[in-house]
Amino acid sequence: MNEKKMNEIEKFLIFMSFNEIPNKKQETLLELLEDFDLEHALSNPKMKSVLSSEEMLKLLKNYDPRQLNSTIENMLKCGIAIVTIFSENYPQTLFDLPERPLILYAKGNLSLLKEKCLAVVGTRNPTAYGKLVTERFSKKVAESGVVIVSGLCYGVDAIAHRAALDVGGKTIAVIAGGFNHIYPATNFNLGKEIAEKGLLLSEYPPSFEPKRYTFPKRNRIIAGISAAVLITEAGIRSGTLHTKEYALEYGRDMFAIPGNITSDKSDLPNDLISSGQADGIVSPEQIVKYFGMQSKPIQNKFVGLSFEEQEIVNLLEQGEQNFDFLADNSKIPVNILNSCLTTLEIRGLIRKLPSQMYGLLI
Amino acid sequence: MLSKVLSYGLAGIDGFVVNIETDIVGGVPRFDIVGLGDTAVKEAKDRVKAAIRNSGFEYPTKHYTINLAPADIKKEGPLYDLGIAVGIMTASNQIKNKKFVDYIFVGELSLDGSLKKVRGVLPILISARALGNKKVIIPHENAEEAKFIDGMKIYAFRNLKEVVEFLQDGYDEDIPSLKTKNFDEVSKALCNKLDFENVKGQTQAKRALEIAAAGGHNVLMIGPPGSGKSMLAKCFSGILPDLTFEEALEVTKIHSIAGELDLSKGIITERPFRSPHHTASAVSLTGGGTNSKPGEISLAHNGVLYLDEFPEYSRQLIETLRQPLEDGNITVARANQTVTYPSSFTLIASMNPCPCGNFGAKNRECKCTPVQIHKYLSKISGPIMDRIDIQVEVDNISYGELNSNQKAESSASIKTRVDRARQVQIARFAGTQTFSNAKMSVPQMKKFCTLSKDCQFLMEQAFTNLKLSARAHDRILKVARTIADLEGQSEILPQHIAEAISYRGLDRKYWGI
Repeated sequence: MNEKKMNEIEKFLIFMSFNEIPNKKQETLLELLEDFDLEHALSNPKMKSVLSSEEMLKLLKNYDPRQLNSTIENMLKCGIAIVTIFSENYPQTLFDLPERPLILYAKGNLSLLKEKCLAVVGTRNPTAYGKLVTERFSKKVAESGVVIVSGLCYGVDAIAHRAALDVGGKTIAVIAGGFNHIYPATNFNLGKEIAEKGLLLSEYPPSFEPKRYTFPKRNRIIAGISAAVLITEAGIRSGTLHTKEYALEYGRDMFAIPGNITSDKSDLPNDLISSGQADGIVSPEQIVKYFGMQSKPIQNKFVGLSFEEQEIVNLLEQGEQNFDFLADNSKIPVNILNSCLTTLEIRGLIRKLPSQMYGLLI
Repeated sequence: MLSKVLSYGLAGIDGFVVNIETDIVGGVPRFDIVGLGDTAVKEAKDRVKAAIRNSGFEYPTKHYTINLAPADIKKEGPLYDLGIAVGIMTASNQIKNKKFVDYIFVGELSLDGSLKKVRGVLPILISARALGNKKVIIPHENAEEAKFIDGMKIYAFRNLKEVVEFLQDGYDEDIPSLKTKNFDEVSKALCNKLDFENVKGQTQAKRALEIAAAGGHNVLMIGPPGSGKSMLAKCFSGILPDLTFEEALEVTKIHSIAGELDLSKGIITERPFRSPHHTASAVSLTGGGTNSKPGEISLAHNGVLYLDEFPEYSRQLIETLRQPLEDGNITVARANQTVTYPSSFTLIASMNPCPCGNFGAKNRECKCTPVQIHKYLSKISGPIMDRIDIQVEVDNISYGELNSNQKAESSASIKTRVDRARQVQIARFAGTQTFSNAKMSVPQMKKFCTLSKDCQFLMEQAFTNLKLSARAHDRILKVARTIADLEGQSEILPQHIAEAISYRGLDRKYWGI
């Protein structure tokens, strides 16, 4: 879509979005107004009946057609695509939702919106178990060609994105602010990579700073564009609750990974499973099958190992172990053990977990 | 009458000659001390006066002028008392013998005339020997620390009377000076350290400390509270190579100046282990103050500086460690003077993985938010992390391990390997300013840490697959060099590189992602 083709109504929406006019009011305006030429619209008394006097004042103050055009042009130059409900790129999945975003700013590969999407969400501070399953499931599902959708936040979000990128899969990040305000800042590079290899999505204009209330709100987009939502690990009061609510409201399928019943961080998925709101998922295969995809054949990666490395792999097959256990049971000298573990890790066969724990990477 | 007596002052850890000139003239009774003395020096007037009288000598009512030359250097402390008293008694003709012009007098006087111990006797003796002043009179309480200095005539006395008698009638070169003691015997006798054989489990941490001891690397231990980080650190000094006599003298010198010397032992034979609390002020760590004293990092010279709960130290404090870690000494500039103290230590720091300490723990749950964890970890800046070669994790050990009767390897047997690796390094760096792998310069690294094709391939893979940061590269090379030295290999092999990589936990950012 370029500037010339963009019609009046899209420009109108962009202007509204830049001035932070709430979604609901925009929807009402879309119904009420016939002429969306900005100049005419602003003088239309129907506008005043919908918008508050402050909002009207703001709109009138900020109205500058030349500046608006150049802002749009600049965004396009920066590779930001503007997708309104009138564009053909607007995801069908969102179109009929009650609180649909009227406009989406996007950076990256727009065609991902047409593909099969799985939302992977969860706590910002996962346990070692949460990290492990998030990564394992995201990788497997992404490998099969399903798009992983999440929110580019700390914890499960970031792990899911990272995992998808690592296996060369597709991923969409829906962020809670404008593109100039990636939150948290630690994920700036991850966001950049997603914009290059996947898709970065936001309903807010680039200069919009994320606010407290925008985080739960963007969760409706995450749930909306996905066919199903997978909750890997989340506490009972987690922000993931919002995503769950939206998913149930929109009739999306819910998946949850069961966890230890004594772990606070697995409370939400366990609750959802026991109450029947979500399907308990124990293998990534189930999700891959759900999407009707084929998972990548498992290759036996454990070939060409040295005697010591094989010994370590054998011990780890029974579960994660810490360093001292490995040292005691393998009888491998500490220095050799250390170097074997690193080599195995570099080859992507095992993983080092916090506090000297090691686990097989399957 | 005029008299001149020698004494010594201290600037940093080095001594300088002080000439105590005493002039007595008739007239209005007065007592002036000139030559930039601090309050303790000025107050010598009252101590000296009482001491002379109470020792049964005369203190004529006259006009006294004492000059401490050179007059432009600050003099501190009560160590000039004895010199001033002897000067007065010479000038007032109570000591007629003038042959002791080349003697150095050091000591504080009590009002009853007894000689009391002073700080910094050992550094004064070492400087005096270097400057050619070979005869010294010191307080008896300081005798032990003087016993390790040979080639000098050192006399130790209990009070002013003894000193005067010695100078007066005796003045006998044949009176035996202090006998020197043999360092090696003392150092063997005083051994009493925590042993690694009592530390259960923690094999990885022990191995990391062995490498650190062998190559002089700094270590960061990360683990939950109660996992034994402090215990490991305390054992660490036991596997370091023994202090050589020169090193011991240097250490003793610093402790002597700081007044922290155990006077019954005289010389420090064990590598110091200092663990300042995290509420310590910057000055207590670096040294300085109005009366310049070495700080904790200098007291840890040739030994171990252990900083428990590393991120709890103020950021400013941690940053002050940068220069000493790099240069092995610290220069403290104050209004009055600038002093340099040696501070070449091995840093052992320990920290929790997060504010609550349970991040990643097996049986406990971490309640910290990612922001809290991030803030906690970011308290330690990149430049400091750059100077810490080894990061190792320490985990709580299970009850089974705790209760097992299995004895671990003893410190002594670890130490033999460490000593061997140090020998290799001494031979390697012969004729340079470097003593350990950790202190290698960039050209030296190029020369001694060449990598084979296999090693380079491994490094490359590690960087891409494990997402190591660039700063890890040099650290890994240095640690790999030490690991190779421990094995007696002249070349760095892939397994050495692989092991070295395993000590870069923090660089790999598995925290929080």
